[in-house]
Amino acid sequence: MSNALATAIPARRPAQAPARHIEIVPTRDQRRARPRAVYALTAVIGVFALFGVQLLLSIVLSDGAYQISSLQGQQRQLTREAQALNEDLDLLASPQNLASQAETLGMVVGTSAPTFLRLSDGSVTGQPSAAAAGTAGALGSDGGLVPNSLLDDQAALAAGAAAATATDTTTSAPTGASSPPSSGGNVASNGGTLPSPQTR
Amino acid sequence: MNNPKTTGRRLTLTIIGLFAIILVFSGKLIDIQVVRAAELNEQSLGKRAVAVKTYGARGDIVDANGVALASSVDRFDIQASPKVMLLVEEGGVDVKAQIAALAEATGADPVALEATLRANPDSDFAYIAKKVTLETRTAVKDLKIGWVTDAINPSRTYPLGAVGGNVVGFLGTDGPLAGLEFSYDECLKPTPGTSTYEKSKDGVRLPGSTVVTQEAVDGGTLKLTIDSDFQWFVQEQIAAQAQATGSDWATALVVRVSDGHIMAVADYPSVDPNNVDGVPTTALGSLAFSTPYEPGSTLKPITAASLIDAGLASPNTQVVAPGRIYFPNGQYIRDVWAHGDLNLTMTGVIMNSSNTGISKLSDLMSKQTRFDYMKKFGIGTRTGAFPGESAGSLREIEGWDQITNYALTFGQGVSTTSAQVASVYQTLGNGGVRMPLTLVEGCELPDGTVTDLPSTEGVRVVSETAAQQTVEMMETVVTQSALKNVLNVPGYRIAAKTGTAQVEQGGVYGKERIVSVAGLVPADNPQYAIVVTMGLPDIMKTSAAAAPTFENITSQVIKTFRVEPSTTPAPTLPLTW
Repeated sequence: MSNALATAIPARRPAQAPARHIEIVPTRDQRRARPRAVYALTAVIGVFALFGVQLLLSIVLSDGAYQISSLQGQQRQLTREAQALNEDLDLLASPQNLASQAETLGMVVGTSAPTFLRLSDGSVTGQPSAAAAGTAGALGSDGGLVPNSLLDDQAALAAGAAAATATDTTTSAPTGASSPPSSGGNVASNGGTLPSPQTR
Repeated sequence: MNNPKTTGRRLTLTIIGLFAIILVFSGKLIDIQVVRAAELNEQSLGKRAVAVKTYGARGDIVDANGVALASSVDRFDIQASPKVMLLVEEGGVDVKAQIAALAEATGADPVALEATLRANPDSDFAYIAKKVTLETRTAVKDLKIGWVTDAINPSRTYPLGAVGGNVVGFLGTDGPLAGLEFSYDECLKPTPGTSTYEKSKDGVRLPGSTVVTQEAVDGGTLKLTIDSDFQWFVQEQIAAQAQATGSDWATALVVRVSDGHIMAVADYPSVDPNNVDGVPTTALGSLAFSTPYEPGSTLKPITAASLIDAGLASPNTQVVAPGRIYFPNGQYIRDVWAHGDLNLTMTGVIMNSSNTGISKLSDLMSKQTRFDYMKKFGIGTRTGAFPGESAGSLREIEGWDQITNYALTFGQGVSTTSAQVASVYQTLGNGGVRMPLTLVEGCELPDGTVTDLPSTEGVRVVSETAAQQTVEMMETVVTQSALKNVLNVPGYRIAAKTGTAQVEQGGVYGKERIVSVAGLVPADNPQYAIVVTMGLPDIMKTSAAAAPTFENITSQVIKTFRVEPSTTPAPTLPLTW
């Protein structure tokens, strides 16, 4: 019966042999082959640092995404406001409004035949003559026959707003520009009065 | 005891077991990552991704100077959720005050608004106001009412109102209904796009996740040849005169003779596209293009020019114009004023607008030649300027009876639109070359390409001499006829022809008239053709009804388009012999 493992038959202990501490001394190569702590530390810290940077990046990205969203919202709002202002501008530039504003200012249509002033030499062609008193304005006596319902809506709103503010009178009366007839008439924004500064 | 064999077996079994588990897992992994990958990706995207339909804006319609006649604007629909409103009310919020504030902001009646909102307590949707401006929407948003939302509603606005409304057209709820908005819809309509992005729970786009599947494309800009300020003036003029004379309708066209571009095409009555319900349905289009009528004596210059071009007559050709021309069956044609035989030159025939005179002169030319000339002048053919226009009608020679044979020479027995008459005068003013009448300059797409360019090919109808001599003959109407004080503009040579056309009513010519004045300015080197027509005036049934308007419009043409005064005097042509 042979055993793979050798069993040591305990021999008699030698009397009082001194215990000796034996160590295997690693060779230089063995020492070199052992990994240094520094490298392990660097690797671990590096991994943590990478994770940290990735976390920061994703935070910044998300922050950016919120900023983009907010700025896009602002852009949308500003574009809409610009569009609304352009719409008002187009309306104010319409011939109906210009004609009615001209009438409000007292302008009339010239009655003389077409006359021209050539700017290059200052020569005048035609016979310019002043319009007689009582000449009709651009809109004529019928108040304009080419309607623009957008102006009428605006006038109605302005008249409504003017009526609302007229009830609560303020101490400073509007100076300067004359107010146009409040009923009818194709009048544009602000009820037709230009805000003028208080003069002394 | 640790038997190496059993340990080894256990080890093997463990490893086999491990591999089996790994196999199962990798099988599942391959199944998910490779086999069902696409399907699962799509599902996940659907849960997080939003496919947004992006809309382009409908293109503008602009005049020759870029002023917008029709433009797309943002409007907003204010909506509310009655269900949420009631919940909020139960929570103790003063909903009545909120409704009152809302009504004030949107200009609605607070009582009616409250009734609408309380009508369906289970409904999640109710309109408060439709198509409000940005100002109103901002006011509503500032009220910070939780149960009110708004949605964008792209709309169309026509900042110039009724100016050009007859040709621009308008939109209905589903799309364009009339005018150029309808016929050039392909040019104007935008192409929607889609853009897919993944959004977070609070609606913010996840960075780096936008995938634009297709960019939205705005509609193209349709450029017209008309000048909007001038168009307004012309519309005002004919409207005022039509009302003063009690006319049922009126049209006016101003055409630049060099290229056939229309500077103004006015109708009365005409529609304001912002307020389509404000006019009867007959006034929704453009009568100048759609409604033909017998034009009358304004077509006499066609006969005169044809005769000169064929070498058969000249302005000095002499003819004896009787008061009436009788036909074997007793029918006759007559002049507007009663007279005996008059010795008139062709110039005199034109100046006096003698029907009998022009009829006798037309005997010099065969029917076929006359027909061919009329066809070349564009009578009976669409001008091509406005889709949906009428071609009028010119009967074939076989259908000409003895009256029609002569009547055609003075514009009766044939029907034309005002646009066709304007085209005739454009030809006469352009040295006899007919340019295609043009209203649309082109459609400019957002990427810069221009489509729908009009044809620029001219057709020679009569010789330059024939056209020039015809214009000189027409000048005598302004310098010597009964209307000379009404038609003339000091410092300028103007050529004009009046027309008082009879109108067929129930198979016979009745008492109604369609009066017009058509002419060219300046007569020495024509630049603009002007045609003014008053339909069925109640008072003043002669061309005197249209004459003052013609003069006003001609003055304005001179001012707007900087026409220089004439430097040479009008030639003196004999009217009688």
